[in-house]
This record gives sequence, C-alpha cells and structure tokens, in this order.
Amino acid sequence: MPLGIQVSVEPIAAAERLSALTGQSPHDGAVASFVGQVRADGDLVALELEHYPGVTEAALGALREQAISRWSLSQAIIHHRVGRMEIGETIVLVAASAPHRRAALEAVSFLIDRLKTEAPFWKCVHTASGRHWVEARDSDTAASQYWRDQIAQEDA
Amino acid sequence: MQIHIRYMAALRDRLGDGETAHDLPADITDSEALIAHLTRSDAEAAALAAPEIRLIRNDRIVTRPSALADGDRLAFCPPFTGG
Repeated sequence: MPLGIQVSVEPIAAAERLSALTGQSPHDGAVASFVGQVRADGDLVALELEHYPGVTEAALGALREQAISRWSLSQAIIHHRVGRMEIGETIVLVAASAPHRRAALEAVSFLIDRLKTEAPFWKCVHTASGRHWVEARDSDTAASQYWRDQIAQEDA
Repeated sequence: MQIHIRYMAALRDRLGDGETAHDLPADITDSEALIAHLTRSDAEAAALAAPEIRLIRNDRIVTRPSALADGDRLAFCPPFTGG
C-alpha cells in the first residue's frame, strides 16, 4: 500500500491516527483533518463500500503526493474504510500537517473533494427492505472540478 | 482479440457478476467501439455508453476513448461515490 494510505475493512481509529500526527515536528504549526461518518438518512440501516483493490490505493496515493507537493505538507494520511458499516461509524479520515493552517486546511479539503470522484469506491445503502447504490452528486463533481481547475490554472 | 470484462457496483447488478472473456471482431480496437459492440448485442448494455461511465484497464484508471489490446482486463465503473 502507498505510504500514508490505508484502505481497511476494520474500523478506523481516527483519534489514534490523529494523535500520532500531532506534535511530530517542531516546524508544524497546523494539523487539519476531516472525518466522514455514516449519517442516519431516511431508512438507511447500514452503508456498504465497495472498491477496486489496488487501483483505489494507487489513486489515493497519487492524490496524497499531489497534495504534499502543492501545499508543502509535512505529513498527509488517508484512511478509507470498505465493507459494511453502521450509522455513526467512520468512513474516511483525511489529515494533513503543515507549517501554517491555510496549507493544512486547503490540502484536507482538496483530498476529500478529489477522492470522492477520483478513487474507485462505490456506496450502497442498505435499508430494511433492500439496498440501492448511491448516485454521484453534482455538488461533489463540482467540488472536485473546482480543484482540478485551480491546479490547471496554476500549472498554466 | 480477446478481452476480459467485468462490471462494478450498480453496473454489476444490471449486467452480471464475474469476469467474462469476449472474442472481439478485428475492427474493434478501442473502448468506444467495444461499447457499441456490447450495446448491439445487449440492450441492457446501453448504460455503458453514458459519458460518466469510467474505465479501469489492466488495473489503471484510463480516459475514454482508450485503446484496447489482446488480453486486456477491462472494468466498467459507474461514477465513484467514496468519501
């Protein structure tokens, strides 16, 4: 698995992962993070995440490398869970450390926005009466595209 | 040319589980021609032509149209919905 990337069926110990990231370097003034968790939504009883092993980790690794280089991060981690999870459980943890807050906050925003549309995960909602696949949201596509445009502008 | 096709997530529910081998006519050399070919033989497969359908070729995400080569493993993917 690429450095700083984890995809697991086991629950994500978000607090422990974050604690391992803080206080690591005297040059880091900021650690920012995002924790996504299963929301009680309508008749949802559980969420199941499918992914494409190997390709997922590579996609997350590439996004992480991009973020590290663009925002000069000291550290960055992405831990995404797959399989079945219940309401309140953590789906994904993204965290980044950097000398200043703006870099850390933007990098985390970039990573979560981009991974939603660029890493091969699929959400399936289980209800009491069956299951259905979650459709991609236009707002997620737009958020991802925003970063794509930002980077294209800067590279131009 | 023979290629191996599988469908992910919602597409698997519609088009079938597991990897299937397809022997393709010689004039099919890229992903879009393949989609047209699959669509002709199976009305259900029309969903594959949608522009938002992503392609993983030999364990790499590729953009459409993508060239095809003998022995390729292709996975058709609905839009990703992680995070």
